[in-house]
Amino acid sequence: MELRSKAARLAVAHPGVLLAACPGATRARLAVEEELLRRSWPVVAGPASANLLVVVGDPDPARADWAENLWNGIPEPKSRAVVREAEQATAALDDGHLALFGPDDQVSVSPREERRMNGVLPSGRAGSRRREGHAPDGPAHAVRDGAAHHDCAEHETESHHSGHSGDGQDEAHGTHGGGHGHDMHAMSVVAGLPMADRADDRDGLRLDRLHVPLGPALLDWPAGLVLRLALQGDVVQQAEVDQISVRASSRHPFWNDPWLRVIAGERVERGLAARRLCAAHLDSVGRFLAVSGWDDEAKRARSARRRVLAGASVEELGVLLRPWARQLRRSRTLRWLTRGLGELSSERAAAAGVTGPALVAGGDAYCRLLVWLDEIERAAAVCGDTRVLDATELSGPRGRLNGPVPPSQALLDVLPGLLEGAEFAGARIIVASLDPDLDELVPVVDSRVAHE
Amino acid sequence: MQQRRRTTAADVALTRLGVVLLPVAALLAAAVVPLGFRSVSDLADGIVWFNAMEALAWAAVWLAGWGPNSTLALIGGYRFLAQGLAYELPHMLAITTAALGAESLRVGEVVDTQAGLWFAVWMPVAFAIYLLSAMAMAFWGPFDQPAGRDVAGGAAAELSGVDRIVFLGGRWLLLTVAAAFSVPLFLGGGNGPLLPPWLWTVLKTVAVLAFLVWIRRKVPTLRMDRYMEVAWVVLTPLAILQALVVALVVLVR
Repeated sequence: MELRSKAARLAVAHPGVLLAACPGATRARLAVEEELLRRSWPVVAGPASANLLVVVGDPDPARADWAENLWNGIPEPKSRAVVREAEQATAALDDGHLALFGPDDQVSVSPREERRMNGVLPSGRAGSRRREGHAPDGPAHAVRDGAAHHDCAEHETESHHSGHSGDGQDEAHGTHGGGHGHDMHAMSVVAGLPMADRADDRDGLRLDRLHVPLGPALLDWPAGLVLRLALQGDVVQQAEVDQISVRASSRHPFWNDPWLRVIAGERVERGLAARRLCAAHLDSVGRFLAVSGWDDEAKRARSARRRVLAGASVEELGVLLRPWARQLRRSRTLRWLTRGLGELSSERAAAAGVTGPALVAGGDAYCRLLVWLDEIERAAAVCGDTRVLDATELSGPRGRLNGPVPPSQALLDVLPGLLEGAEFAGARIIVASLDPDLDELVPVVDSRVAHE
Repeated sequence: MQQRRRTTAADVALTRLGVVLLPVAALLAAAVVPLGFRSVSDLADGIVWFNAMEALAWAAVWLAGWGPNSTLALIGGYRFLAQGLAYELPHMLAITTAALGAESLRVGEVVDTQAGLWFAVWMPVAFAIYLLSAMAMAFWGPFDQPAGRDVAGGAAAELSGVDRIVFLGGRWLLLTVAAAFSVPLFLGGGNGPLLPPWLWTVLKTVAVLAFLVWIRRKVPTLRMDRYMEVAWVVLTPLAILQALVVALVVLVR
């Protein structure tokens, strides 16, 4: 027993972290990511390999069942932490980690004993340790492997609309199903789950079709975005944009903060805005590269982002960014792999009200990447500019901030059209190449907003 | 120490079969890979055996992807089948070329033929194609799409605890075995000066593995919707040409 418990402790010394970031919490997310890097805790791709669920932001407690579903999908031993503000990151992670070695040491319970106990969890050890008790209390029994999805069968027989699609709450990582509403013909139900329906595919073959909600806790995914997809195999037939609901925020969206302050009549240095723009694009490019399966370069983008936000000098950034950007531009493989994905002409972009890099690029995912790279280098070169940003330059990382709608809304509007017919991997790259920032859509609680 | 989990309406038996099959396939394939000049079993058609066992991995990954009744895992399974279709044709031609050079399907004889000149030297295209397919069959590096992070781990998305360890360990084993098999096929097996044959085998295997690990950092993930074309339109004709050249050399010799 002694040995086993020691091994168990060793196994969670670097817990796998499942990061579920909500809109409006970019600052907190960056802090958590930095802290995870410092501790070298791996950020995992899904609940199956996670030990620690970290919810970043302030989800609407009335509609946070996605978080509960994520939690239920994580195998024991597990714990969770909620990080609402950047300053809480360290403490919340510490607490979450500590909860993994609970005093009742469930870590050492074997799966066999566990199963014998048949899912009667003593009040949800880790659940009760939840840092801020923010998410609604989930059914304690839902934690066990076998019993994990019992509740789902009940929903499903009730109505196809409210149910989970497939075991959607697992594979789509977090959303509470519900994609069945589009097709009204009756579906047969097996094990409480609807069977896939049929539809013509792009070649006119009649094939199975699945309704799958994607997000919000996917890796390298815009925080809080949920896409409701109709999939045939791995081809997207239809996409609908949704998002998780969060409570109103008292802050400006982090990436847009300098420009919004100018709108509010403050004096902001150009260098500060350039720095923010540069970091925002590095964040986007990091996601783009990670989704394209180039982890090494994605890591470099992220570490550059950290340096930019930490206030590195123009010289240092030049040395850091120039060779990196050059290598990306020269990579033929990257070009070959991302060419032709998510073609968005300037006219179409303009018609939809897109104003940022996606409009400038006027092309496919690869074009958008190149625009980002150009803007990153241009912005990095003027990070030291101390002149005042004037009120005519209100273009944030995703577009003009004094337009009728937030720039990311326009990106979300064009997204479904671009996704149709794309294969899953291509769809992920298309989403990453637009990288809508849902922070911009979070309702602001007060007109006299606080600043970062 | 992590526990197993189960998804709703999962086919647990199929999932477990897929999970266990992966390392088993790797071990069975390893049976014909000689350490030095001796292998567990030097079958008369060892090369075919290796190819057959390596193809078991297709079943393994597909079952592991299908079993959990989860979309992302299923997509991982689909991807591996597409990948199999892409890599297998040039791959089979490449290993056939090595067999052709030795005029035998027996791995031992392939090694003996390379006492002088390594096959990698005079059939470089076949060797390069083999290295690509070594990564592809272990769905690793630029070919990791079936278990890609963009589908939350793909075929491994729903595996946790011991299942996950066995499956991902099996993948490593398969990569190692695939790298090790390139040594008797193309790098002269245990042939080499001074050092004992087994050490040569180990050193060469480590070198190939190191190369495969290095290449991963240099290239983004290859999507099969793009790679398929390269595999069939470029690599397959190249492999056929290589086989033709080798056949002529063998006839003239």
